[in-house]
Amino acid sequence: MHYETYGDGNGPAFVWLHGWGHNHSAFSRLAQLFTNHGIHYLFDLPGFGKSPMLPKGAGTQDYADGLAAVLDTITDGPCILIGHSFGARVAVQMAVHHASRVKAIILISGAGLQRKRSISYKIRAFSLRSLGKVARLCDTLFKSNLRQIYSSKFGSADYKAAGELRPTFVRVVSEDLVNEAKSATCPALLLYGSQDTETPPELGHKYEALMQDAQYHELAGFGHNDILDRGAYQCQALITDFLKSLKQD
Amino acid sequence: MTDKKIIAVIFGGRSVEHDVSVLTGLQFLEALNPTVYCGFPIYVDPQGVWWTGDALTRRSYYPITAEKQKALTLVHLDLATTVSGRPRLIARQKTFLADKESFINFDIMVPAIHGTNGEDGTLQGLLDFAAIAYTGCRLMGSALTMDKVLAKSWARSRGLPVLPELKLTRPTTGTYLDEGDLKAAITAALVNFKYPYCVKPCNLGSSVGVNKANDFDGLMAALIHVFRMDSEAMVEPFVPNLVEYNIAVRRSGDGTVQTSAIERPSSKSDLLDFQNKYLAGGKGGPKLDTGPSEGMASLNRKLNPQELDTTRENLIRSTASTLFDGMNLAGSVRIDFLCDSVTGEIWFNEVNTIPGSFAYFLWEAAVPSISFLELASAMIEEGFVLSYNRLGNTSTGAGGSVIFQE
Repeated sequence: MHYETYGDGNGPAFVWLHGWGHNHSAFSRLAQLFTNHGIHYLFDLPGFGKSPMLPKGAGTQDYADGLAAVLDTITDGPCILIGHSFGARVAVQMAVHHASRVKAIILISGAGLQRKRSISYKIRAFSLRSLGKVARLCDTLFKSNLRQIYSSKFGSADYKAAGELRPTFVRVVSEDLVNEAKSATCPALLLYGSQDTETPPELGHKYEALMQDAQYHELAGFGHNDILDRGAYQCQALITDFLKSLKQD
Repeated sequence: MTDKKIIAVIFGGRSVEHDVSVLTGLQFLEALNPTVYCGFPIYVDPQGVWWTGDALTRRSYYPITAEKQKALTLVHLDLATTVSGRPRLIARQKTFLADKESFINFDIMVPAIHGTNGEDGTLQGLLDFAAIAYTGCRLMGSALTMDKVLAKSWARSRGLPVLPELKLTRPTTGTYLDEGDLKAAITAALVNFKYPYCVKPCNLGSSVGVNKANDFDGLMAALIHVFRMDSEAMVEPFVPNLVEYNIAVRRSGDGTVQTSAIERPSSKSDLLDFQNKYLAGGKGGPKLDTGPSEGMASLNRKLNPQELDTTRENLIRSTASTLFDGMNLAGSVRIDFLCDSVTGEIWFNEVNTIPGSFAYFLWEAAVPSISFLELASAMIEEGFVLSYNRLGNTSTGAGGSVIFQE
């Protein structure tokens, strides 16, 4: 797994896990604000950037297992994991399945829990899923190309761009980390942008309610991705306070 | 109930640097520590009308059209703040029956308006009058540095390196600059210097209106250009092999004057004028919605350039510190220098008391590094101290009365 290293090596190890479709550079602005606070490993998660894919259809626990194996080769002791969006799913899995390697987790626009949906949304989603199944059946029976047409018309941007990672994408978005969130015992900081429509503040509140030791902050005016650049200083302030509270414990 | 300090960041303004100011203001809002401060925008539109509203924090909301104004709230500053009162804006919203007034309290104002009416002491004077705390330079420092000739004469009187200059005032309506008088004045003021000259407005920032004059006709054209924007122009020798060096200066919490990293802005042109500073890239405007690297922060630059030897670096740092300390400046101030890259000579050029992006990128590249988060907090705390030090000017016990006693 490819990673970049920042920092002076004094202090804790920080592990930065980017969102779906991004790579380690998504954190280049925010991580630089912490270069005096320890050593930083900015990973390209498998299938992104310069890191090769995991076996087809891997889930977030597989990502966590792979990450833990790499961490064993580069650093000792528990690390502070910072995950953005999809990276937050991996951080939560790490906190549960590799707890000895995790001192704390910081979820920024963290995904992993299912959103509360309206009835109309559920009806539409059910209809589209059914339509997809019909398209697949037709393709099988009549050698047609309906599934591809269906995907290009109704698939999300991430789904369309997933390429070889599409089985992983389908598996990941249907994962619900409720049990993992309940099981995580390490301290967690939850940062969500008030304008985020992909992982809205609702998810942060859910994580806060499920986790044993979590603090939630909503950053006014920021969205899903710009929280990492325009919002870098506000994230810096909240993360710095969180790190101080870890030292005091 | 929150005990966070309410920070009013004012930007935009009736200045040619309006758009750059919007970016500076929004960047400052984004650098506020959310655990301690709660910021909100005050946007001064090109007509001078003040607005507030959440939509103003989105870069994509600009320019503000008449339609977009409907989502905003019209505000004006309450100038009659009492000694014990909290600063406030008066908001006005139309209802079915009549205009409805409400109040928006705040604790300190952050002027982020570049150039005219923001950086020149006028806004600072207004805030002093209304006993409102604000960040950055006070009235005198702002006014002194806004006038390039005045700032240079102050520096010259302290033995700091400056180029000679000729100051010209815009002719009154119906009169013209006399060719003979002008040539004689130039010969007298710029002894030993021949064409080309550099022509600048005296009172505008961000290198607005700066032009090179290769001959007398070019000089007249440049002066006409300047006099459209400013009532006073300055003619200086043009520095051959020109490179510019900029440095930021601030006062740390313990009272010592600190200098930042030094930058050498890059430009393909002879002059780093407004066009080259902010509109480079050919898109015709500052980049929007691209994160914190925008406006002055997105300019191509070399930080801590290797060609500066210790002697010249020390000259820049000591000159900048002397100017900051002697002129009693505050906040994050950027001081610009001119250099002949062949001879190595360096001259003080100008002071920007509200520089683009508050020059945060120079502080982040300093040793030790200071992030915009820390810089913004320090500017606010300094602003409170400076304003409160000045505000002890009325004996509140006697209601300010000395002659008329009960």
